[in-house]
Amino acid sequence: MEVAGQNPSIKSARDLGVVACTRCLQVWPAGTPSCARCGSTIVARDEKSLQRVWALWLVGLMCYVPANMYPMLQTRTLLSVQEDTIVGGAVELMHHGAFGIALIILIASVVIPLGKFIAIAFLAISVKRPSMVSNHHRQLMYEVVEYIGRWSMIDIFVVAIMSSLVQLNTLAAVNPGRASLFFALSVIFTMLSAQAFDSRMIWDAQRAERNIDR
Amino acid sequence: MNDTPTPVTIEPARKLFLSNASFVWIIPLLALIIALGVAWQSYNSRGPLITIEFENGAGIKTRETELRFRDVAVGVVEDVKFASGLSGVVAHVRLDKDVAPYVDVGASFWVVQPELSARGVSGLETVLSGVYIEGTWDGDIGPSQSSFKGLKDTPLYRYGKEGLEITLRTTAGGSLTDDSPITYRGIEVGRLGKAQISQQGSFAVAEAIIYHPHSRLISPTTRFWDTSGFTFSVGPSGAEINFSSIATLVGGGVTFETFVSGGSAVSDGYSFEVFQDEASARDSVFNASEAEPLQMRVVFDENISGLSVDAPVELNGLQIGRVEGLSGVIDADAFGDQRVRLSALINIQPARLGLQDDVSPEAALEFLSRQIEDGLRARLASASLLSGGLKIELVEVEDAPQYVVQTGEGIIPIIPSTNNEISDVTATVAGVVSRINNLPIEDLLNSAIQFLNSADALISDQDLRETPQVVKALLGDFREIVASEDVQDIPVKLNASLGRFETLLAQLEEEAFATQLVAAVNAAATAANGVNASVEGVPALIAQLEAVAEKAENLPLEDLTKQLTTLTASADAILGTEAAKQLPADLGSALNEINATLQELREGGAVTNINATLDSTRKAADAVAVSTQDLPALVERVRVVLNQANETIAGYNRGEALSRDAQSALRDISKAAEAMTSLARMLERNPSSLIRGR
Repeated sequence: MEVAGQNPSIKSARDLGVVACTRCLQVWPAGTPSCARCGSTIVARDEKSLQRVWALWLVGLMCYVPANMYPMLQTRTLLSVQEDTIVGGAVELMHHGAFGIALIILIASVVIPLGKFIAIAFLAISVKRPSMVSNHHRQLMYEVVEYIGRWSMIDIFVVAIMSSLVQLNTLAAVNPGRASLFFALSVIFTMLSAQAFDSRMIWDAQRAERNIDR
Repeated sequence: MNDTPTPVTIEPARKLFLSNASFVWIIPLLALIIALGVAWQSYNSRGPLITIEFENGAGIKTRETELRFRDVAVGVVEDVKFASGLSGVVAHVRLDKDVAPYVDVGASFWVVQPELSARGVSGLETVLSGVYIEGTWDGDIGPSQSSFKGLKDTPLYRYGKEGLEITLRTTAGGSLTDDSPITYRGIEVGRLGKAQISQQGSFAVAEAIIYHPHSRLISPTTRFWDTSGFTFSVGPSGAEINFSSIATLVGGGVTFETFVSGGSAVSDGYSFEVFQDEASARDSVFNASEAEPLQMRVVFDENISGLSVDAPVELNGLQIGRVEGLSGVIDADAFGDQRVRLSALINIQPARLGLQDDVSPEAALEFLSRQIEDGLRARLASASLLSGGLKIELVEVEDAPQYVVQTGEGIIPIIPSTNNEISDVTATVAGVVSRINNLPIEDLLNSAIQFLNSADALISDQDLRETPQVVKALLGDFREIVASEDVQDIPVKLNASLGRFETLLAQLEEEAFATQLVAAVNAAATAANGVNASVEGVPALIAQLEAVAEKAENLPLEDLTKQLTTLTASADAILGTEAAKQLPADLGSALNEINATLQELREGGAVTNINATLDSTRKAADAVAVSTQDLPALVERVRVVLNQANETIAGYNRGEALSRDAQSALRDISKAAEAMTSLARMLERNPSSLIRGR
């Protein structure tokens, strides 16, 4: 599989018998157990990375289910108590004609987390199995996932801000629902899951192909 | 690829897999365990789902409407659906697990809504929070049930507000108000439930509850009555409006009283009647319990207006029933003509007849049948003189035609009627008024005016005015007699004789003839007293005559005046006669004689002559008596004259209006004459009394 700008003559660090510290990027000879600068463990490939990815991914997914089932926001006014789930709230906003906001909520709370799950799962699978998507695209996907992951917390921020601002005693009050906790956990675990992924494995697949080609 | 030594691969793959497993897997495992744990816990703590069917939704909301027990939420509505056939609304309620066992077959549910009534506001909290479902059940676990039928209203009996459950039913004409309070001395001790019409439609029935511990106030002799509304009455003490409270005025209410003490306790389900007022409730205590009424019919020949439904039916003045219905009847076969007759359907209350053993319509009919054979008949009578209302009276009629009461299935027995006794008040009053109208009031006034005119003329007559002066002259003459020397001399002379007596007695004492002497002295003393009394009587006579004169003074009649004038003239003449003037002189001489005798006695001094002396004393007294015998004659003459005057006046005055005064005057005169007569008689009978005073 040929990617633009890929040069077979490029040597990887492994080929040269060195390994870089993943935290402080100091290069050490292969076999060095730990970075003498920052103290972190130095491995050429994290063999257990995928296990951690899957484990954390699973927890994130488990948390995502109740996050959508339970109400995210509890709005208590003088006369009534309203509890809305994420999707229910967005649908309600659409009923009120606020399509923009509804869209933002849907994207931030549904599309992005779901996309992250899919992307991480895809990346984890593609490391083991040959994929149609090029290594560069997968690297890009990984970087996007890692970057965008933190923005999913925007929902939690909205709930937190609303809850702290709207506390008018008996007249009206906004309290976070149970879903907010699960949603936050879900976001945290997906972020951890994404971080646990060792992106170098993407390229190992390329090297393996090249060796087969030879 | 590096060449790896083969022995290295001896390690088992399984071990490798486990050692390769990252500790990170603990996290999803933990999460899974926690999730499962939470799920199991929530499933475990979840109570059963029950369904409650209501008539309508009434504001029940999914996941919001709570089920409350004693105002504590014990469940929540999870779903609201229609019942099959759209016959109602079914609320699916998720119960709390800890109360679920208690929600058994005895549970009941109703929707609490804000309610505004005359007695106040209830369920106000639901205005803001929305309705909730209230449930009640007892504290015992019974057979479970998951499908319930909701009540329309708040039920009377609830767990925690227990009481005696009774039924109240109205008497004839009474009414019940739904959900009204039962008060006792102004305190709410119970509550009336939903009132319903009985199956026959003849009365209303309502369930009621008397809360503990007030239920001990209820006994079989307790009577309930309606306090709703107000009564207005006009009586001797003025107009009166009575109502127990504003709440009962608007919302109705029932109260009760146990008039007879010592009743046993009442168990649940006992039925009471609600009377219209306290008076009828009180009355009912002393009547036997009301039994099924006996229906009878009375046909009256005359169709008289005034008899109405509910009019009383009385036997010997005691109400035994009432008129149930009225109609006209034409029965050519039974009565022989085509006239419309008044047919009254009456209800007779067997209990009121005072039957001893069997209080039933049959017994009452039997009793009445016997009475009817003996002549009991129905008739119309006036119930009220003012309103002209009629009642039916059952009376014994002498020699009534034989009648046998027809009885049998489906036949309403007939009480034969007799002549009605209706006092027509209006006619009587009209008669009285017309008689008053016919009185000759104008004639009466005219003659009164004429009479007053002539009286005026008479009083202003000169002769009449002179009458008093003439009478005065007459009295002056009288006084002259009394004041005459002779009369006044009597006491002096008596005194002198007594002085001599005393000296004589002094002598007699010495000679020890005391006893006889004492008698003699006593006789003499009483003689003196008698004279005194007779003298005292004269002024009284004058007073009487004065009274006569006064009466005569008032006499307004011309002729009377003349007669009186002549009368006084003759009286004057009588008094001027020798006999009258001589009376004192005779008395005086008699005393002189006594005096002389006593003188003699004293002079003689002979003790042997005492008896003779006393005899002559007696004789002297006799002499006095003789002289007084003239007095009756004088009195008689005065009496004759007065009688004459009396007759004259009586003759003149008879039939005249003013005669009363004259007659009374004459009566006084005649009394005076009678007094004189009696004096004369007394003297006649016992002349010596003038001296002896006896």
